[in-house]
Amino acid sequence: MPHQSRRLALVAAALLSARASLGAQTDYFNTDAGRPLTIEDAYALERRSIEIQGAPLRLERIRGGQYRWGIEPELSVGLFPRTQIEIGVPLVFVDDPSRGDRRAGAAGVDMSVLYNLNRETSLPAFAVGVGALLPAGSLGPRDPYGNAKVVMTRTFPAFRVHANAQATFGPRLSLPAGSPDPVGGNTLELSRWLAGVAVDRTLPLRSMLLAAEVFARAPLVRGQPLEWNAGVGTRWQANVRWAMDAGVGRHLTGDDRGWYLTLGGAYAMGWPWRPARR
Amino acid sequence: MRRIRRLSHQLVAALVVAVLPTRAATAQWSQVYEQFYLQAPHNWTFRTEYSHADRLFNAFDYGHAILYETLWRKPDAPASRLEEKEYAFLVNRVLVRPPRNPLEEAAIEPMYARLAPEAKMMFDWAHVLHRQLYDVLADERLDRAAKDREVQRIIAYYKSRPDLAFSSRPKSMALMQEQPYSLAFRKRYPKFNGLIWGYHWLQIGLYEPLVTGTTREARQAGVRATVSRFFQMLQDAPTHMPHQMPMTPAVAPAFAARYPEAGIIFDNLHSMHDVVSDILTNPAVPRDRKRAEILRAARLFKDDTSYVMGSTEAWVRMSQHMGVENMGGPAVGFLPSMPTPTVTYGAVMTHDDRTGEMTGFKYGSATGGDHAAHGAPVSGGAGADAHAGHGAAAPVPAPAGGHEGHAMPAAPSAPTAPAAAAAAAFQLRMLGDSLIRARVMADTAMHRLAMEAMQAMPPEQRAEVMQRMHGAGHDHGAMHGAAGAATFTPPSRRGATPRPRRTPKAAAPGGTTPRAGVSKPAVPTPAPTRDPHAGHGTHRP
Repeated sequence: MPHQSRRLALVAAALLSARASLGAQTDYFNTDAGRPLTIEDAYALERRSIEIQGAPLRLERIRGGQYRWGIEPELSVGLFPRTQIEIGVPLVFVDDPSRGDRRAGAAGVDMSVLYNLNRETSLPAFAVGVGALLPAGSLGPRDPYGNAKVVMTRTFPAFRVHANAQATFGPRLSLPAGSPDPVGGNTLELSRWLAGVAVDRTLPLRSMLLAAEVFARAPLVRGQPLEWNAGVGTRWQANVRWAMDAGVGRHLTGDDRGWYLTLGGAYAMGWPWRPARR
Repeated sequence: MRRIRRLSHQLVAALVVAVLPTRAATAQWSQVYEQFYLQAPHNWTFRTEYSHADRLFNAFDYGHAILYETLWRKPDAPASRLEEKEYAFLVNRVLVRPPRNPLEEAAIEPMYARLAPEAKMMFDWAHVLHRQLYDVLADERLDRAAKDREVQRIIAYYKSRPDLAFSSRPKSMALMQEQPYSLAFRKRYPKFNGLIWGYHWLQIGLYEPLVTGTTREARQAGVRATVSRFFQMLQDAPTHMPHQMPMTPAVAPAFAARYPEAGIIFDNLHSMHDVVSDILTNPAVPRDRKRAEILRAARLFKDDTSYVMGSTEAWVRMSQHMGVENMGGPAVGFLPSMPTPTVTYGAVMTHDDRTGEMTGFKYGSATGGDHAAHGAPVSGGAGADAHAGHGAAAPVPAPAGGHEGHAMPAAPSAPTAPAAAAAAAFQLRMLGDSLIRARVMADTAMHRLAMEAMQAMPPEQRAEVMQRMHGAGHDHGAMHGAAGAATFTPPSRRGATPRPRRTPKAAAPGGTTPRAGVSKPAVPTPAPTRDPHAGHGTHRP
C-alpha cells in the first residue's frame, strides 16, 4: 500500500508537473504551460483579468492499455502588473482494467506565480516563476513540492521561440525494482528538472496559433532515465471570451512511449470590482 | 545545425546584454504591461448589436498593423508594396470579409511590436477605450444619463494608466504634421494614407449616429448608413478619401460636444498614428533612431503641456476651419455624393493654437470651395448639388500669410425679385429642418453657398434667413468678408430643435453628478468666432 499511495501521489503530481499551471492567458496568443504545450511564453496574464479554466482535460494512454485522465479547474488572476497568480485543484481518474484499478480523487493543490520581467524589444522577453504542489486529496502527493522556472521568448518575423527551464524541489522518490506500476508513473512524472523549446506560428486573421515543442526532463524517481518528449498543438480564439486549445504529444524515449492528448478552453473576464481611484 | 548555433549565440548574447546594465540595454528594457478592459454589463454590446460595423474594426486593426510592420521591415520596398499589394488585400479581402474577433496585432506586426512596445500598447489601450465607448452608446438598457455616467467612468479607467493614456488636452496639429519627419507617409503612400484616414473617419464617425439616433431603429439605420459611407470613400481611391485627418468635432460634432474629452483623446490617438507612420517612412530618421523618435512622440502625446491648444473651443474651431468636406464629410446627414475637398490632398493648414483659427497653408493649397478664398478665386453660385461647385477652381498656392491677400470672387449677377423671393422661401424652409441646418453649419462649403445665395435676397428676407441660420443676435456684418462668424452647434440629440450644449452635469437627469475623482471634461461653449471661410465668395474685403 505504501508503494501504491506513493505512485498515486506521483501520478497526481505528474499531471501538475506536465502542465505546471493550466490557464492564465486572455487569448490564444499568450501561451501557457499545458495549454496545449508544456513550454510556455514569457508573458503573464493581463493585469485586472481573471481566467477560468473550467475543465481542461488531459488524457494519457500508457502501456498495457491503461488510461489516465486529469482535469484541473483553475483560477488565474492578473493581480499585479506583469504578474499572474494561479490556483488549481487537479482531479485525477485512473482506469487500469487489467488490475481492476479504478480510482478518482483530488491530487493536491497547485499554486504558482509567473512574473514577467520585461517586454520584448531588441532584448528577448524574460519571466521567472515559482510554484508549489501541496498535499491534499485522496490522490495528492505525500510531501509538498516546490518548483522554480525561467522563461524566455524571442520573436522573429515568421515565428516565435520560447525556451523554458524548470527545477523541482522536494523529496525524490524511490520505487523498488520490479514493483508494479499500475498507473504508469514513469510517463508523467514530476521532474527534477525540465528544459525545452517551443516554436509557434500565428495565423492572425484566423486568431489561431500553431505550435510545436520538444523538451527533456529528468524524472523525480530515482533510477529512471532522462526522457525526451515532443508535441504539437493549437490555440484558437473562439470568441472574445473563450480561447480553446488542443494538443497531442508523445514520449520519444524510455520503455513507455505512450501518447497524450490535451483539450481545453479558458474563459476570460475582468475583475468585477473597480480599480482604486487615483 | 548552423541555425541552431546562431540561435544559441543570439540567446547567449541577449542574456549577456540583459545582465549588463549598459546604456543600450537600458534603452531597450521595457516593462510596459497590458491591462484588461473595464468589466461592465455593457461589455461587447456593440459587437452584439452592430456586428457588421464591429467586425470592420477588426479589419482596421489588421490595416494598422500590416502598415507598421511593412514600413519597419521593408523600408526599401517599392511604394507599390503598400499602395497596390497590401491595399488590394485590405480592400478586397479583409474589409469584405472582416475577422470575427479582435485581432492580436502583435501577431501581424511582430517586429514593429518589438521596436516600440510602449507605443503599440498606447494604441491598444486607446482602442480599448474606443470599443468600450461604442458598447456604452450601443447599450439600449442605458438611458442618456446612465450612458453619460458610464462614459465618464470608462474615460477615468482609461486615464488610470498614465503611462499609456493619450492626453485629454487638445494638441496642436503642428505636433503631427510640422515635425522634421512629417508628411513623409502621406506623400509616398497617398492611397494607404487615405485608407487610414478613412478608418479614423469611421472610428469617430460611428459615434455620431449612436449619439444622435433617438430610437434603436434610428441608431441601427444610422450606423449602417455611416458604414456605407465609409465604403463609398474607397471608390476611386484616393479621390474621395479624406484629404485631411478627420477631426472629431467636424465629423461627429454631437459626440464631440457631448464627450469632448473622448473626442480629444481620439484625435490625439489618430495624430499619433500618423506620426508613427511618418517616422517609419522618413529615411531622414535613421533606423537606430526610430524607436527613440517614436517614444519621444509618445511622450509628447501623453503629457498635458506639450503642443497644447488654448482651449477645447480652439480645438473645435480648428477642426471646423480644416473643413469637414476635407475629412470625408460628416458622419450623419450627408448627401448622396461625396463632398469635394477644398484643399489639395494632405495639405497642411496652420492654425493659431490659442484660438484654433486657420492662419494659412504650410503645405499644399486650396482647390476650391471656401478654402479657395485663401488664395484662389472660386466660381460662385450654387449648382444642383451643394458640392457641385467645389473644386471648380484650379489649385493655386495659398499666400503664405494666410488670409491676407485673399482674392474674393465677384458677386453673382443679381437675380430677378421673384426668383430672389423664391430662393429666400426655399432657404427658410430648408433651414427650418434642424438636421439640414446643422449640416449646412458643419460643412463650410455648403455654408458658403448658402451665404452666397443670400446675397441676392431682399434685405428683410436676408435678415430672416440669416437669423434662422445663425440664431438671434448674430452679427450679420461679421459674416461677410474676411471676418466671419460661426458657432459650433451640433445636431440636437432628438433631431428636432438644436439645443445649446450642456455640461455633463446638466445633461444627467435627476441631478446626477459625475463621480468624485472622475475628471470632468471642459465643455466647449458656443461662442461667436471668426471663421475664415464664412462669407467667402460673396464680398470683396
